[in-house]
Amino acid sequence: MNNITIGQYIPGDSWLHRLDPRIKMLSLVVLLVGTFIIPISTSWGPIASMGAIFIGMLILTASAGIPIKKMVNGLKPIVFLLTFTFFIQLFFITDGNLLVSFDFSLSLTSVGAMIALIVFYNWSKKYVKFRILYFLFIVLALFAVQYALPYLSFYTYQLDVYDQGLMRAGFIFIRITNVIIMTSLLTFTTMTTDLNYAIESLLKPLKWIKVPVDVIAMMLSLTLRYIPTLLEETEKIMKAQASRGVDFKESKFKDKVVQIISLLIPVFVISFKRAEDLGNAMEVRGYVIGAKRTKIDQYHIGFKDIMSLITVILFLGAIITVRILG
Amino acid sequence: MGIQFKDVSYAYRGFKVNYDAIGHITLDIKPQDEFIAIVGHTGSGKSTLVQHMNALLLPTKGRVVVFGQELPPKKNEKVNYLRQKVGLVFQFPEYQLFEETILKDIMFGPKNFKSTEEEAMEKAKKAASIVGIDESLYEQSPFRISGGQMRRVAVAGILAMEPEILVLDEPTRGLDPKGRKDLMAIFKEIHETEHKTIIMITHDMDLVSEYAKRVIVLNNGTLAFDGPKELLFEHPHFEDFHLDMPTSLKILKHLEKEVGIPYKPQYDYASLLQYLKEVSHE
Repeated sequence: MNNITIGQYIPGDSWLHRLDPRIKMLSLVVLLVGTFIIPISTSWGPIASMGAIFIGMLILTASAGIPIKKMVNGLKPIVFLLTFTFFIQLFFITDGNLLVSFDFSLSLTSVGAMIALIVFYNWSKKYVKFRILYFLFIVLALFAVQYALPYLSFYTYQLDVYDQGLMRAGFIFIRITNVIIMTSLLTFTTMTTDLNYAIESLLKPLKWIKVPVDVIAMMLSLTLRYIPTLLEETEKIMKAQASRGVDFKESKFKDKVVQIISLLIPVFVISFKRAEDLGNAMEVRGYVIGAKRTKIDQYHIGFKDIMSLITVILFLGAIITVRILG
Repeated sequence: MGIQFKDVSYAYRGFKVNYDAIGHITLDIKPQDEFIAIVGHTGSGKSTLVQHMNALLLPTKGRVVVFGQELPPKKNEKVNYLRQKVGLVFQFPEYQLFEETILKDIMFGPKNFKSTEEEAMEKAKKAASIVGIDESLYEQSPFRISGGQMRRVAVAGILAMEPEILVLDEPTRGLDPKGRKDLMAIFKEIHETEHKTIIMITHDMDLVSEYAKRVIVLNNGTLAFDGPKELLFEHPHFEDFHLDMPTSLKILKHLEKEVGIPYKPQYDYASLLQYLKEVSHE
């Protein structure tokens, strides 16, 4: 239950931690825009700038004192997406020079081998630690047998790798990685309360068109606040139902449905009860929706904050100039 | 048989450091005729201790033996069946109710342990009658009855599994005095008629003195005292446990000091009254 790592705050005292949350969020937006403005192309300019951003992000990570291991862990959930887009790009772009060409065939031998592989995967997956990597490896193996066992074939197809395809695939790969590193840098170095403050303060202009910004911010902060509480309650209910003989790990699908219900309904009931209690507690302490409220923490934008913002804006300007001129 | 703890420690994994919830606990609990109270203040590891008894938690050091089954178990050994032998009732068990009808909810436990529909129904009805849930309530929703009744239904849900040892984590918390008395009477009845061992976590020293036979005191995750309640309350260093005296003993001590009635421990109000009558007749 406690292994949710994406976007978890890592306590620290680096300059990135101390940067004003509003500036950090603005800078993230500017950087993201910059990253997406760089055109997908196979000339060396954009690829080099993409690589430069990547290196810059690594330097930032190091300067914030975030362990590289944490960053890699944060990338884990998107490994699947990364590989998938990589291969789609690789095989479906057919410009430029042909590098290699593979002949695949569906044949009696290869289909047989594929079925055997899938059966083997289902049997062996519970013994393997790196599930996603293992899954990708098996998928690769599925294609490998189609390549290696063309005997008695009844259907053949070709997949060609062109140099343009390879470069575009690599480009998109780095771009997605960059985006993930940027956003996790923000969440790693900013507490949820600060993030919430930043969102509230950046959305303030929307008040002019009657959007209840402070209510949205309050909802957001309460939601974030209650995630650990509800996880804790869920764990308690899981234990209570386990004491009544529910085996959440090893059971048939038919039983699983009842088990999930035995977990969902109590958690649902508890969250309503919690919400009601919280509402009462807030009202008792004088919370009125839409009333003007003051903050316990005051944020000041300092010299460093302005310099950081200017740097990222210069960066964006540079990219736009290159794009227009190039 | 029963439950044995052999130098058991359990550490929760923290962000960077692991901190010990319980450490070096050695215990022997017989499967019959024991009524044990586990006391100690908040955070002393009481709940962690009892969750080892039905294999919800596995010791990080040392061994627990529950009805001959070693914990932590060997690879590919299932421990789920232990939860039928050792029934654990959590704090505020009414939150675990989920079925459409009360009877169905009580049947959930036995059905998980491979009882047929009819057997489960029979066990559920028996458990419901033990905790005093009326037949007219069987088809009602468990969410439409009072809090005290919900708690009884939840307790019945564990009793219906016919466990050999019953473990209760603060069973009377949040109940009014009458609800507390009724619930404790149910546990006493089960203990006396079926001779089942009952293990109960509580903060209420009056319950300890009236019902328990043996008391286990935990202090910062270690065993501070394990023995009969008579020895605990007469312990020369009782203050070191940071526990409250039961009301009946307080009254007796006060009477000895103020009016000179000789102190002779009485553990519940009925025997206290009896004793005072005897003294006044002399």
